[in-house]
Order: sequence, then C-alpha cells, then structure tokens
Amino acid sequence: MIGYILTIEQKDSIQGVEYAPYQTFNCVQDINNIWYTFLSDEQKPLLIGTEWIWILTLPVSEYIPPPPPPFPPQ
Amino acid sequence: MVFIWKFNRLRMKYLNGIIDSIQRTNYDPDATAFFLRINAAGGNTTLTEKNAVNQLVLDLKANSLWTSMLAIYPMVGSSAASCAQNLKSSSYTGIFSGGWTYASTGITGNGTNSYMDTNFNSKISLIPDSSHISYYSRTSLPANTEGDMGAYGTFPTNFYTHIRYLGDAYYVLLAIEEFQSVSNNTTLGFFNGNRNTYDVSHFRNGINLGTTIQNSAPLPDLNTYLCAINASEIAISFNTKQCAFSSIGTGLTDIQSNNFYTVVQSFQTSLSRQV
Repeated sequence: MIGYILTIEQKDSIQGVEYAPYQTFNCVQDINNIWYTFLSDEQKPLLIGTEWIWILTLPVSEYIPPPPPPFPPQ
Repeated sequence: MVFIWKFNRLRMKYLNGIIDSIQRTNYDPDATAFFLRINAAGGNTTLTEKNAVNQLVLDLKANSLWTSMLAIYPMVGSSAASCAQNLKSSSYTGIFSGGWTYASTGITGNGTNSYMDTNFNSKISLIPDSSHISYYSRTSLPANTEGDMGAYGTFPTNFYTHIRYLGDAYYVLLAIEEFQSVSNNTTLGFFNGNRNTYDVSHFRNGINLGTTIQNSAPLPDLNTYLCAINASEIAISFNTKQCAFSSIGTGLTDIQSNNFYTVVQSFQTSLSRQV
C-alpha cells in the first residue's frame, strides 16, 4: 500500500487532529519505524483549502507493515 | 401540477398526475432523533435509508432488543458524519481515523491505519457478566490476523472479537479469563458475540457456532474501536471488512440473538446490501 512519509515532527503535528468533521489523521510506523499516513481517494479532496494541504505533497512510498502483534496478547 | 396526498403516515406527491414520491411522514421518535443528529452533523440519508432505519427501530423494539442496545451504528448515509452517529442515543458518536471509504453499502477501512473510535468505554457502561458486540461484514476474506472491534488492556482485561482469526478461529473475548475460540470458515455475515454470566456465545447469522464457559475478568477501561482493536490506547489489527452494521450492549439470550439476526438481515435487505 502506498502512503505518505512523515518526519517525526510532521507526525506529531497531525496525529489525532480532526481535519474534517468526524475524521482525524492516524499515523503508523512501518517495519523500519518510519512514520506514514494514509488517506482514501475520497478523503484527499477534504484537505484542499485547509492548513493540511501540504500532506498531499509529501513523498510517497510502499508501506511494509510491522509483524502483527502476538496473539493471545500478554 | 403538483398534488400532495397524505394517508396513513404516507405522503404521496403527484406530479402531473403521476406518483413522484412516497414518503413516510411519521417516523418513530428514536429514528427521527437519529435523522436529526445526522442532519446536524452535516450528513444526509435517502428516503430508502430513512424508511429502513425506521423499520429497524420498530423491529428492535417489537423483539425486545432495543433496551439491550447501548450503541447501534446502522452505517447509512455514505459519509463520515452519517456513519458516525449512534442510533440509540446521542452518546457514543464515532470518530473515524485514517483512510476510509464510505458507501451506501457500509464503511471500509484500508487495513493499515483506519479505525472508528466509538467513544464507548465498556468498563464504564457494562458489567463483565452481560455484554454483546456485533459486526455485519460484507467482505469475504481468508482467515487472517485482522481484528474487528473492541479493546484490551493488560491481560485479562478484554472486550473484543476476531471473527475469523488464523486457523478459522472465531474469538469472542468479553471479559474472559481463557482464550478459547470456535470454528468459523467465513467472514461474511452478521457476527454477534454474547456474554451471559459464564456463557460466551459465538453467533453467526443467528446460529450459535459454540459456547465457551468463562469466569469473569475485568472489562478494559478503554474506548471500543470498530474495524480494529484498541490495545491499551494503540490501534492495532486494522481490518478491511466492509462493515454495514455494528452494535454494543448488554448480553442477549440465544432467542434474542436469533431474532437480532432476522431484524438486522431484514434491514440490510431493505437496503439491498444483504450478504
């Protein structure tokens, strides 16, 4: 899956922020601890005209998820 | 020429002698309140969706299910503002995080960073011996590690479900002390997990696939997530199953669970999105 690559500062500035009604950003780390965020095609236009438009200009890359958490959890 | 005729809670609008639209004019008060919440949030519902939701409310009440519900997400309106609304009350309005697709058939996460925070804390609103969670999945997937809804803290505090984990294991983990599952070979359908005292039942489409016997553990002091699991305030196990209905509430009897499926399936059928 292709996602936007974030610096730690960028991640901190958007994590959990409500950019549209009932919708917030969520950032996740890949297998190498690099931060990414993802938006669907229908969500991306919501950033146009907002202070978050810069997200759509970030570099993108294939996201490789970390291994799933252990189950059952301890 | 427009002519409007009202009869028996129906409003029929004629345009040039032909029926242009038929609208129910007198919805159940709880359905009406739900529509008003959607409108206030900036969302919309079609007439078909309104009629379906109204009938859902009537059927839940007629089958003595309404009082067992604390949160109901009918997933209508094809938007975040609409799908976030709780049919049962103005509490527990959801917040969507990450990448989502909102459609007339339900909500779909991307399996990477998407979840809905229901703002429902099971420790505050339920007791360990009586609870249920439900999830209507419209996506067929092989067994995987996706989580479908709930939360857990340090073991054994838990309130979550995996409807088809690796090994075709259906887990209903509602304040349980031991990880036990029943066999389930599909992710399609209406999944409803119940806890009633020691019995933890695993329903799919109104049929109990198995009951495990469990002592009670604590419920997590965490918000219940939908389409992922809240693991001590961190969203994990994001899923990709399109969700067309979900609920949280007190435990249902086997008969209630069977009726619950009938009601929800009728709702989905009226929206032409049943599986």
